[in-house]
Amino acid sequence: MRTAPLSLALLLAAAPLAAQTPDLAEKVERLSREVERLKAEAAPAQPSSTSILGYGEIVFSRYRRDGAKDTADLRRFVLGVTHAFDADTELVTEVEVEHAVSSADDKGEVEIEQAYILHRLSPAWSIRAGLFLVPSGLLNERHEPTVYYGVERNLVETAIIPSTWREGGVQVAGDLGSGFLLQAGVSTGFDLGKWDASSTEGAESPLGAVHQELSGAKAHDLAVFGALNWRGVPGLHLGASIFHGKGSHAASGVPPLSATLWEAHGRWTPGAWDLSALYARGEISGTAAFNQPLVGFPTLMPRTFDGWYVQAARQVWASGPRALAAFARFETVNTAAAFATLSPASLTPAPARAERVWTAGASFNLNPHVVVKADLRRFREDRNQDRFNLGLGWAF
Amino acid sequence: MRLRTLALCLPVALLACGGALAPTRGGLSAEAQLGEAIFKDTRLSASGQQACATCHVAADAHGAPNAFPAQFGGAALDLQGTRQSPSIRYLATNTPFFFDKEGTPTGGFFWDGRVDTLAEQAGGPFLNPLEMAMPGKAAVVERLAQGAYADAFRQTYGAAIFADTEAAYRAMTLALQRYQLEDPAFRPYDSKYDAFLDGKVRLSDAEARGLALFNDPRKGNCAACHPSTRGADGSRPLFTDFTYDALGVPRNPALQANADPAHFDLGLGARLGREDLYGAFKVPSLRNVARRKALFHNGRFTSLKEAVTFYVQRDTNPEKWYPRDADGNVVKFDDLPPAFRRNVNVTEAPYDRTPGQAPALDEAEIDDLVAFLQTLNDGFQP
Repeated sequence: MRTAPLSLALLLAAAPLAAQTPDLAEKVERLSREVERLKAEAAPAQPSSTSILGYGEIVFSRYRRDGAKDTADLRRFVLGVTHAFDADTELVTEVEVEHAVSSADDKGEVEIEQAYILHRLSPAWSIRAGLFLVPSGLLNERHEPTVYYGVERNLVETAIIPSTWREGGVQVAGDLGSGFLLQAGVSTGFDLGKWDASSTEGAESPLGAVHQELSGAKAHDLAVFGALNWRGVPGLHLGASIFHGKGSHAASGVPPLSATLWEAHGRWTPGAWDLSALYARGEISGTAAFNQPLVGFPTLMPRTFDGWYVQAARQVWASGPRALAAFARFETVNTAAAFATLSPASLTPAPARAERVWTAGASFNLNPHVVVKADLRRFREDRNQDRFNLGLGWAF
Repeated sequence: MRLRTLALCLPVALLACGGALAPTRGGLSAEAQLGEAIFKDTRLSASGQQACATCHVAADAHGAPNAFPAQFGGAALDLQGTRQSPSIRYLATNTPFFFDKEGTPTGGFFWDGRVDTLAEQAGGPFLNPLEMAMPGKAAVVERLAQGAYADAFRQTYGAAIFADTEAAYRAMTLALQRYQLEDPAFRPYDSKYDAFLDGKVRLSDAEARGLALFNDPRKGNCAACHPSTRGADGSRPLFTDFTYDALGVPRNPALQANADPAHFDLGLGARLGREDLYGAFKVPSLRNVARRKALFHNGRFTSLKEAVTFYVQRDTNPEKWYPRDADGNVVKFDDLPPAFRRNVNVTEAPYDRTPGQAPALDEAEIDDLVAFLQTLNDGFQP
């Protein structure tokens, strides 16, 4: 370290002379190279404390009924840097670009998906502070394309659990022993007042329409969350989580609102099989007063929304690092399962019909880091969503 | 009527006593008080009988006090204007005229957005030959200098202000602007709908159904241009997005200018020299719309229910609204030259219909919508 300023000083001091004397310039150059060699030799050998990670996916979708909707999209491209400051403290970051191009005239987005400090308090306990993924469901914290079946993530963990869901705050994670892992914390929550009843965004994902992603997030009302996962038996993973917070943020004209999302999940991987199931339910209180001035608009705020899925996958072939797996999934999602009663009652929106989706397909892993996927999706309600997907994903 | 006369005279009388303005009275700055006095001063018109307050009557939500399609002005008060006097409430947040990123004309003052500020708007009627009809700025300033508030004017804008006609005229418009910005009477936000937004009252069933029809993009679709919800910053809705639309309002034979069959009021397009905008006029706030005695830029309708019915039946029953030509054909959008009738909005609900189809709202729904619009009147007493 000390040699760097020294070499710089030597070079700077010699530079004017070097410009006048070619021989001297050559000597300075040689000296500089020598200093660099000595620096390299003097440095203690240690593993790099900074690592780069990344993942991405390219998706081609061909719609069954409407060819005009067919798309090919670099859906996400993520690069992350983790840096260990010492044995106990590290920085975790991820930068994501969605849809390849982000500009005023393009649909893409650039976003920081994670940016937090992890500090180990003990071998069993750690604390995170910053922007982190909310521990909810099976996919939100681990959503690399090599991790899940299907070209697209399941609908429950997209529409009900608003993946990719991250908040700013503080959380502790602890190994309670016997396979139990606890996570709990305080974070930013939803800005329920920004609900746009004139758009369809809220019908696609109620909480996705109001989460804040730590982008100038309103923070008058903070949320609390907790997740408990158990992996006490090899191959078996059971867990549940809850997230709750008020979301009016003392905004004028926004009545008191609070949102709660809870879910329970399980995954069992006996041998070649990979079986999973999840149920998620969201509830928002205070919606009657909030919705009353919005009557007539297409998307009022629901009182409850929920969804569940069951999925079965099986590895059907493997050779070295290569593997082929087939899967099938059934899911049902209702982003507006119930509305609070309005005045007069005739203005209360009817609950939405639950969307039921069958997905079946295959994943071919070239190696654990590169996957090619294909699937067919069939929607019971909105048949225009029926499609064939082909995807390429990577993660490292 | 007596109360109105008293209200008009009181500020002038007060000024006549001393000539100087208290620094603040009723929360108004000295400049705003000056603006109030000018607003109500009939001496600033050629007839000596007309002030800003004559056509923008506080008791009528600062709009026209009668059902004339346009008010009468000029030296003998016998010349009719060409457009309805709009309410000048809730204009404080209006912006200078601009085209938004999608090319939508937005902002500006008057029906055609021809000026950019309240002050500029205030300076217009004094010199309009069909309104206050003063022969020029110098004549206005001369009368300002003779007014009971002349000393206050000098105190506010400088002892030599009347020596510079342009500066004095500009100062007068600034005083009028200050008055409109400071006096809460121009933005009381005390309608039943405001109380409803505050959670203090409930709407009746008919009013609530009317609100739903107002908001519903498949029914009234009124909120598309007249937003009914609070802004992202919590600001109260103004029921206008300050844009422009060509509605195809029928020609109004009661408007004297229309006696000339070659006369067409082309609105924003005429001002900008853009044929594609011929017939477009400012989307007004619907606050206090139920108190208006004549509606639309040409005052064609004198009943709110009739105006709402026109919206929903314009395209399903055009024969109800437009005359027929010699061949018996309905002449839709007859207040525009034939070549520019294509400018009229026919794509959005509730216009997106054809003869024979059911209107977007039936009679009962129209009544509900009108009931809701009545909640937008200022001065609600629970």
